[in-house]
Amino acid sequence: MTKLPDWLAFDPRGPLRLGPRTFPGRIWTASGCFGYGLDGADLGTAGGGSPFDGLGAVVTKTVTPQARRGNPPPRLWETAHGALNSIGLENVGLARFADEIVPVLEARGVPFVASLAATRPEEFGDLARRLAAAAAGAAHWHGVELNLSCPNVAEGGVDFGRDPETVERCVAAAREHLAGRALLAKLTPNVGSIARLAAAAARGGADGVTAINTLIGMDVDLRTGEPVLPRRRGGYSGPALLPVALARVDEIVQETGLPVVGVGGVATLEDALKFFAVGAVAVQVGTAQMSDPFAAAAVAAALAAAG
Amino acid sequence: MNPSADATAPPARRLRGTIADETAVSSSMRRLDLELEEPVAFQPGQFCMLNLAGERALVFGRPFSLLAASGRRLSLLYKVVGRGTARLRDAGAGAPVTCLTPLGRPFPAPDERPRLLLAGGVGLPPLIAWAERWGRPRDLRCAGGRDGDDLPRGLLGPGWRLSADRPAGEPGGRAVFAGNVVELARSLLPAGAPAHVVLACGPLPLLRAAAGLADERGWDCLVSVEERMGCGYGVCRGCVVPRAGDDGYATACKDGPVFDARALDWARFGGEGAA
Ligand SMILES: Cc1cc2nc3c(=O)[nH]c(=O)nc-3n(C[C@H](O)[C@H](O)[C@H](O)COP(=O)(O)OP(=O)(O)OC[C@H]3O[C@@H](n4cnc5c(N)ncnc54)[C@H](O)[C@@H]3O)c2cc1C
Ligand SMILES: Cc1cc2nc3c(=O)[nH]c(=O)nc-3n(C[C@H](O)[C@H](O)[C@H](O)COP(=O)(O)O)c2cc1C
Repeated sequence: MTKLPDWLAFDPRGPLRLGPRTFPGRIWTASGCFGYGLDGADLGTAGGGSPFDGLGAVVTKTVTPQARRGNPPPRLWETAHGALNSIGLENVGLARFADEIVPVLEARGVPFVASLAATRPEEFGDLARRLAAAAAGAAHWHGVELNLSCPNVAEGGVDFGRDPETVERCVAAAREHLAGRALLAKLTPNVGSIARLAAAAARGGADGVTAINTLIGMDVDLRTGEPVLPRRRGGYSGPALLPVALARVDEIVQETGLPVVGVGGVATLEDALKFFAVGAVAVQVGTAQMSDPFAAAAVAAALAAAG
Repeated sequence: MNPSADATAPPARRLRGTIADETAVSSSMRRLDLELEEPVAFQPGQFCMLNLAGERALVFGRPFSLLAASGRRLSLLYKVVGRGTARLRDAGAGAPVTCLTPLGRPFPAPDERPRLLLAGGVGLPPLIAWAERWGRPRDLRCAGGRDGDDLPRGLLGPGWRLSADRPAGEPGGRAVFAGNVVELARSLLPAGAPAHVVLACGPLPLLRAAAGLADERGWDCLVSVEERMGCGYGVCRGCVVPRAGDDGYATACKDGPVFDARALDWARFGGEGAA
């Protein structure tokens, strides 16, 4: 059992107040790494338990206005200290998400944050409006995370999320329809000053920001000299990201004081504590959740058990 | 004919364990026996996501078909092809592992129609497991290798017909057909032979040829596909294969790995990544 360090500025074991919502915990799963929060419910361990035990929220796979078929395979490539992905935002689209997935999450009592992406600010407003209408009574729907940073789509994507003014307009468009839900803007690390983006999100009305999305990375197959991913570059995630993500979270907290949900390379309670140390209010588990469906639940359990 | 999430396949668990035994079973294939913390069961065609635990863990587990289970002992066959499989080979007895098992849709149990089993390379274990569980004399079992020495003959009883692209003699007195495994099947089942249901597992060219044979004859065909996997349990959409009927994708790990050959878009399969 880890002892909680006495330097912690707050007790991370309790619920989290973020904007208008109270989340049941501070250990979440990251978007794209735990599907829509539906798969995995039937998985167990020798000690019993569920991958959902103790989670503060599942951030669902990003959905877009229309369903997307995603990028051609191969979509994943493991590197020495991380992984490259080029999923291409394959998703079921907002309508199916709202009609078919939200009711199941709600019925199962899974606390969730819906991740949304679009290519224009008005579309973010439209997505938020449609979701708010369809899920108005959903008690376990805590909030929305705007994915302003996916590196794997040709249109929109990173470039779009690099411009503070656009970030502000996207957040403002969504905010209008999301009274009563927490609103987070997920930021790209592939930019000079991430704090400027965070400040822009706050001006647009975000309750906080999520940092970071994947770095841009690539690998080369030495047998052919060709990139391993058909689209050449992809999103780099996993253990190698932790120091980068910590630095970005630290930058945002130091320069803006905004609530930050930290993500990047978290696999253990010790990793999560480092994010809390620099001021993150919650932490998401991404790549580690893919390799072990019980990763986030194990971090949450270790945190709950810490004295 | 659809592979189904078989009601008798137990839900998957993430189990800890150790490497109990690791031995070469042919010139290129190795057998790995795991000792897990609880008894395990599976249906032939299902797989596990295996990773080393602790310092030697890989970012992602690796998918391996299940060969046999007995109590807490789980057996696999594998080939060293890269970093992960090399690390498994070198880990040594006693090395701690984690194993998410059993995963995916299995090959269904047979009906009265005879089966034609077509196995190549690391596609052998699920069909060896199928033959052990459900095989009958009327089923035709074919296993193919490169030179024949790469076939784990100790695991392929006399009921198996063998083929090799470049046969290196007839060790053990077993006849080895010169050619690939689908050519072997064609030689044994010429046009007009009774209908068989094809079960195929191996590299993409084998699956493609198997699906082609079945299509030509109007037979049903089930194939087990291999794709790079991230999670193995359906959440990351990394291991996709082209689905027939629209331009979308199915996941190898959750919708498969066993598919009705007609459910896949063979024209897009394996090709588009090169673009
Ligand atoms: C459902 C399923 C069942 C499998 N069953 C077995 C089995 O029983 N025995 C066995 O030896 N292998 C099996 N494989 C393949 C096995 O997972 C890969 O060989 C392994 O992941 C390679 O890991 P590596 O780190 O050694 O290779 P890497 O360094 O990752 O790659 C080396 C080479 O292997 C290829 N490769 C990597 N991953 C896969 C993959 N998932 N499928 C196909 N090719 C791949 C790459 O294209 C590359 O050429 C199975 C794959 C799947 C999807
Ligand atoms: C396979 C995969 C798919 C992802 N999909 C999404 C997504 O749809 N939306 C999103 O905001 N982030 C997505 N991400 C990024 C993660 O949510 C996370 O920000 C990033 O991977 C860093 O965290 P990690 O190191 O814990 O994985 C994805 C990451 C991976 C590996």
